[in-house]
Amino acid sequence: MSATPDGLDEPGRIGDEAPPEDPRAVAAADLRGGLLWLVFGVAVLVGSLTMDRLEHQNINPVTVPGLLPGLLGLALIALGSVLAIRSWRRGGRGGSPPPLDAALFRRLAWVNGLILVFTFGLVGHGLPFWLASALYVATSILVLQTPQRRLEGRSLGVREFAFAVAVGLGSGAVISYVFQELFLVRLP
Amino acid sequence: MFSGLADLGTAYLGFLNPTSIALGLGGALLGIIVGILPGLSATLVIALLTTVTIKLPANNAILVLICSYVGALYGGSRTAILLNIPGTAANAASCADGYALAQRGEAGRAIGIATSGAFSGTLFGVICLALFTPSLAEVALSFGAFEFFWLALFGVVISGSIVGDDPIKGWLMGALGLFLAQIGQEGIYAHNRFTFGWDELSGGISLIPALVGAFGLAEVLTTLADPLEKKLVEVKDSVLPRFREVFQYWRTVLRSGIIGVGTGLLPGVGEDAGAWMSYAAAKATTKEKALFGKGSIDGLMAAETGDMASIPGHIIPALALGIPGSAPSAVLLAAMIIHGIQPGPMMMITHPQFVYEVVAMTSLATVSILFFGLFLVRPLLIVLRIRRTVLMPVVYVLCTVGAFASASRLFDVYAMLVIGIGAFFLRRRGYQMAPFVLGMVLGPLLDKSLRRGLVLSDGSLTPFFSRPISLTLATVTIFTMLLYVPAFKRGVLGLTSGASALLRSLFGRGS
Repeated sequence: MSATPDGLDEPGRIGDEAPPEDPRAVAAADLRGGLLWLVFGVAVLVGSLTMDRLEHQNINPVTVPGLLPGLLGLALIALGSVLAIRSWRRGGRGGSPPPLDAALFRRLAWVNGLILVFTFGLVGHGLPFWLASALYVATSILVLQTPQRRLEGRSLGVREFAFAVAVGLGSGAVISYVFQELFLVRLP
Repeated sequence: MFSGLADLGTAYLGFLNPTSIALGLGGALLGIIVGILPGLSATLVIALLTTVTIKLPANNAILVLICSYVGALYGGSRTAILLNIPGTAANAASCADGYALAQRGEAGRAIGIATSGAFSGTLFGVICLALFTPSLAEVALSFGAFEFFWLALFGVVISGSIVGDDPIKGWLMGALGLFLAQIGQEGIYAHNRFTFGWDELSGGISLIPALVGAFGLAEVLTTLADPLEKKLVEVKDSVLPRFREVFQYWRTVLRSGIIGVGTGLLPGVGEDAGAWMSYAAAKATTKEKALFGKGSIDGLMAAETGDMASIPGHIIPALALGIPGSAPSAVLLAAMIIHGIQPGPMMMITHPQFVYEVVAMTSLATVSILFFGLFLVRPLLIVLRIRRTVLMPVVYVLCTVGAFASASRLFDVYAMLVIGIGAFFLRRRGYQMAPFVLGMVLGPLLDKSLRRGLVLSDGSLTPFFSRPISLTLATVTIFTMLLYVPAFKRGVLGLTSGASALLRSLFGRGS
């Protein structure tokens, strides 16, 4: 599937299916994944072994807080090793993981960027929640629908802008009203 | 027996009031809408509604959640039939036959069959829920720390084995869920584990924000990462449920109901297992094998009956043992705890009426989907025309509210964000979320049971293997894991083929 210049979505296409992944590429990705799990398991095990055993509280030594986390660390090490060894045998050593589609990467960067700005920048910093939501929703719609407009050879018109703002304000108001007023739930 | 019937009658009467009926219908309607929208799951709608209904009385809140659970799975069949995309994972088995029927101009008929199958399946499950939950809870009263340790481990292992294509990845996700559940203040000595001096982590990672991240934000990212918009098949014929076909295919309905409830009892397996196994069983026994995948009514009926019957099936172990059968029932279990009802063996002592109330709630949910199946099929299809670029930002705002509302902590929103982005990338690499959810739910139980068991046995591991129920659960758990060791599997296959050859030769001589 071709991507539009800015890498955002290209709606309206029917019937495209993602091509099957190369087994060696999958094995290579799993090999890296297995090694990451292994490292994570070692970290959990070390964290459990160095955890306070509460000897000063005279507790039963078989009930130390790090017991189950330590066992989980061992399980993660074992399973991560099995995944890594299996992927190695399936040709993961020679292959390289499936390349991240550049268009997908850019699209995800946009979506995640908007989400991060909303979560860390707008929510919980004094801005009313309905306004923060309205800003986020309206901006997201305008940004994510850019490729559709380009595909149809249109520039951003008043109608599209008004639609995005209306959806943003409407959703912000309805969500705030339903949660805060109707069901008495606190909003961030 | 008679006191149970009286309790059941009281429970039904308790919900026959305008408020409960309105809440039930509202919950089912929201569930159907979310189910219709591809990508949004039953788990997400229940998690979000848990926060909306947090101030409602317990019974009304759980009623809304159960109705939305049933509604979401029912709604998902519409998308499977009209778009060939399962609305929820549980509707995947309905895609082939449902879409084939729709393409030859019988979309309405397919929707009608889905409605009648869903109604019959849920009704069958409700009967099993009423019959088996009290008995199972009674048996579970004899469970101690040793049994609960194995039950929790069994749940995570079985879920990891069955969900997805790769058990290693399933178990890794289960272990990750179990580990995340250990973060924060532990339950015996109130000692902070893995908090690194960060006060916010002392409270642990809450289940609802984690689920909203894993099933909400991850879905938002997945949907926006795949910009494919598919063409909707028009519904031209009648959409009314066809109960004549329920009678015609009564064997399929009954078989799928039993399979659905049976798979529902397995921890963390999910509704899709009920649908696929029912579909496979129908295909194996049908006379119209060639039609399967090409518009078979038998196949569609089996898939829809199987997945819907598994809903009450999943609720049975959640209520009786405190072990959820699926991700949505895990949220349901968490919601019950939030509302002061602790599911598990003690529930028949502390809240004996509640099991029957859940039966009444599920019955109301069954009637609700029939109501919407009769009267609101076409208007509800409008939601399928909403562009994903418009819908998904709104869904993320709801995820933010859902993560925040249960404890009013911004930390929960950040936890949802981290887990959601992590879940998105893990899912792309074939890691499933159901074992992760089960691990998060069962982590505290596993930890407490292990340490309490070791105190009771004075550090000895023998009681973990010597008590009958412990031994059974331990054997099944270890056997399940060993089956993935090639040498062990070869040995088992050799033994079973040898045994069957011996049996054949014995019967051969006798005849």
